[in-house]
Amino acid sequence: METGEKVNRGLKALGEKVLNSDQCTACGACLSLCPYLRSWKGRVVKLDNCNLEEGRCFAYCPRTEVDLDEVYRGFFGKSYEEIEMGPVRKIMMARAKDPIWTKKAQTGGVVSALIDFALREGVIQAGVLTPRDGDLLPQGKIITNRKAVLSCAGSSYVSGPTLEALNRGPWKGQERIGIVGLPCQALALARMKTSTLEKKTPIDRVDLVIGLFCTWALDYKPFMAFLYKRVSSLSIKKLNITPPPERILEVMAGKTLSRIPVDDIRPFIRPSCRVCLDMTAELSDISVGTVEGKEGWNTVIVRTAMGENLLKRAKKAGVIETRPLPKDNLSHLKEASLLKKRRALDALKEMGEIEKGYFTLSANLIKCILSESGETLP
Amino acid sequence: MSSISQNAPGKTVLLMGNEAIARGALEAGVKVCAAYPGNPSSEIIGTLAKVADELGLHVEWSVNEKVALEVATAASFAGLRGLCAMKQNGLNVASDFLLNLNLSGCRGGLVLVVADDPAGVSSSNEEDSRIFAKLGDLPLLEPANFQEAKEMTKSAFEISEQLGLPVLIRSVTRVSHARGNVCLDELPQSRPKPRFENSLRFHALPAVLNHKLLHEKLNRAKQMFEESPFNFYRGPEKPELMVATSGSGWMYSLEAMINLNVQERVGVLKLGTTWPLPESYVLEHLKKADRILFIEEVDPFLENNVKEIYAQNCLFLGLKAFFGKASKHIPDVGELNPEIVTHAIQNLIQVPYEPRPADYALRAHEAAAELIPARALSFCPGCPHRATYWAVKIALALDGRDGFVLGDIGCYSLGMGPSGFGQMRTLHAMGSGTGLACGFGQLNRFGLEQPVIAVCGDSTFYHAAMPALANAYYNGADFLLLLLDNSATAMTGFQPHPGTGSTATGKEAPVIDLKAICEVFGAHVEVVDPFDVAATVETLLRLLQEEKGVKVLILKRECALVSAKHQKRLYQVEVEQEHCLGETCGCNRFCTRIFKCPGLMWDKAAGKARIDEAICTGCGVCTRICPASAIRKEKA
Repeated sequence: METGEKVNRGLKALGEKVLNSDQCTACGACLSLCPYLRSWKGRVVKLDNCNLEEGRCFAYCPRTEVDLDEVYRGFFGKSYEEIEMGPVRKIMMARAKDPIWTKKAQTGGVVSALIDFALREGVIQAGVLTPRDGDLLPQGKIITNRKAVLSCAGSSYVSGPTLEALNRGPWKGQERIGIVGLPCQALALARMKTSTLEKKTPIDRVDLVIGLFCTWALDYKPFMAFLYKRVSSLSIKKLNITPPPERILEVMAGKTLSRIPVDDIRPFIRPSCRVCLDMTAELSDISVGTVEGKEGWNTVIVRTAMGENLLKRAKKAGVIETRPLPKDNLSHLKEASLLKKRRALDALKEMGEIEKGYFTLSANLIKCILSESGETLP
Repeated sequence: MSSISQNAPGKTVLLMGNEAIARGALEAGVKVCAAYPGNPSSEIIGTLAKVADELGLHVEWSVNEKVALEVATAASFAGLRGLCAMKQNGLNVASDFLLNLNLSGCRGGLVLVVADDPAGVSSSNEEDSRIFAKLGDLPLLEPANFQEAKEMTKSAFEISEQLGLPVLIRSVTRVSHARGNVCLDELPQSRPKPRFENSLRFHALPAVLNHKLLHEKLNRAKQMFEESPFNFYRGPEKPELMVATSGSGWMYSLEAMINLNVQERVGVLKLGTTWPLPESYVLEHLKKADRILFIEEVDPFLENNVKEIYAQNCLFLGLKAFFGKASKHIPDVGELNPEIVTHAIQNLIQVPYEPRPADYALRAHEAAAELIPARALSFCPGCPHRATYWAVKIALALDGRDGFVLGDIGCYSLGMGPSGFGQMRTLHAMGSGTGLACGFGQLNRFGLEQPVIAVCGDSTFYHAAMPALANAYYNGADFLLLLLDNSATAMTGFQPHPGTGSTATGKEAPVIDLKAICEVFGAHVEVVDPFDVAATVETLLRLLQEEKGVKVLILKRECALVSAKHQKRLYQVEVEQEHCLGETCGCNRFCTRIFKCPGLMWDKAAGKARIDEAICTGCGVCTRICPASAIRKEKA
């Protein structure tokens, strides 16, 4: 370093570069590793300084010095090169066959059905999911049975510190773990997996990552304050955003359904989401999202052998059914995914220079994402 | 039978200075004794409380020092002998009454013992209480050893009755807390009947007239002290240097003289009646030497008062050189010791002396470290205050508005240091945290956005915080008072108070309900168990963010040392060795380095944390601080 001083890659740097700069995604990767980090109402708060120069909090954060090539190589065995939506083995539409899943789930119930299936088949012994409390505040939770899986279905469009539950454990036996997470959480998990830090986390137990498509997540506190002003009852039961072009937030509060234009809630999008490159949770075994215009179906991207194997078995067991994803949907998906990347790069440019952002990516790839076609330049 | 209650004239017993004072009061036939506990004075009333039933006394822990002095004074007004004891800070509280009582005068012998704490070993200050004697024109005695502690106390009652004035006795830590031989006298068997004589008046008013009468009494005191056996001179007729000393300075001076072997060259004038000074006696001794060194603890009280007498008489006395705090031969702060005094005398008369090597203290510390485990000033194992401050630290960080904690006097004052995670930002007098909060709680109108928290213990609450709480509601202050209710006056030795259900003499007493009081004062009151850290954090945040006005959160959990006497441990706590990541955990030894409950220890060999079974109280709080969830508890 120019100054000859040691560069801090610990809590101090995390505080400066992420927490105090509003770049925290609230993924939970830094929590339960250190007594000085806590989450409260959608925020991660640093209680005090720590004198470690290097810490897991900084190393696993999806918003600190991420070498994307290194992480992708560690996860997929190849660099960050499939710029549209990451490595894809297979892509399809799917839905859970048992109405128990589709009734409560956000769309096709595939995520819940797959976790339940993986638990029952012994592929994993525990899941780390994200239920919401009575006030819609998401929290990470270790679940081991169907009832608990069901309690985690649905979304509040607010990100929660799911990975805290992974770090906290306690993991006593030889449990293998499956995690359902947002793209930032998938990135954090991949960073844990590829980290060279000696200090341990339970990451070696994680065999399955199901990623959720995500365009943005909301900041809990201001969003809830807004919601309670707009709905009549204090008991909000379900939130749902209707697919484009309508894009309306439907809020079931008490017995009344309120409809709020999505544009009204955009001010509550977390600033850290604006610089996110990933819509389709690329660093997952299986990524799952909605399908435009096909209510009750999920888009499913299979990315690894593990994911492919699980999906095959689930299909064979009659847990889910699949159909080919229509061409138009596929091209829309790629477009949307690339658009998120372009917007993130634009946002970083606005904040300064892309090169000074939280990740490193070759100039060639950056150019490529920014170009309309999305094709790799010669 | 306690050694202070035995009627064995001529018997020599080993007594602590405070016990000697108590015995002196008994030999004087004291009937009413009252105090608010405070180191180093607490054992005076503590000792008397133990023999109260046996000897037919009324002994009480009063809610504060002013009330204690009023209680003892009532006995005096009724013709009985009354004793009141307190530490130096307590005299500030009692001074309002004292500085009117001097004008009204009293009847039965009334003695006020004030034990000063030079260096503030267990105090927030090191004030010199002797100034109050001068301020209030009251007679003052300073015992220099244990026998004298007894004799002076006994004599103080006589003086009080002769003058119709309360008499002050000033002790210091090393007189009050050290032990020595004391020869006993007879215990009187009289049973005087109290009666308030309606022909008498005890009014401070008319002030000027009573002030004049007071000065006359003080003059009589001066005359009496000319003959006092508590003043004496030891040394050659024409010393090269005369040491003038009082109280603890006497022993230090003797030791210094022996160290230097200068008994033939240096004389010591030991004064026991230090206000008013016996002027003729002092003048007579000033004639002996041209160089005078003052040895006394804390302020140059004796030094300045002797210089005053000298200034008035310098024409007859000729030139004299005075040494002491003003000349910087003696440090003007902190506690004295024989080494300091030795060094000062050696400096002034140029005798060879091998001083202690400069690294003596360091080497002594190292030698001790081999025998005693190093422990920082810290809350006890299982102390509820540690849990409270941890919750406060979390809540203030989560709240994010840079809130702060105003401190008060008690064990929880340690909240200013590492043991309380440095949370306490102010520390002054009893009840001052809540008083300051009354002011901070008004500053929002000027734009103060930070949440304001005051802490206060249960005993401190009865002592001085109640008026502040009434003020808060009346004037509409906005703050949160944390009432740390550990059901004990823990810091001074577990004396009972109005919330504990028993009296100084162990009798059952009605319990005053803290919550009810706070509610009557208009506060929004909630109660939480600080051992439930999560609930405490949650409650703190809710009260800080959602409630306006004056809020009280009672953190109810008995002092760990009191609990240990009557309750088995709550949990069996264990650090599961396979889960403690030791040095490889990102916590950087948080449990033993920062949270630092003495019940947790770092096993150097294993490189992991462990529970010290011998001292863990099983509170279970640490199970919530380990990021690896390696600390587990099971119902014990």
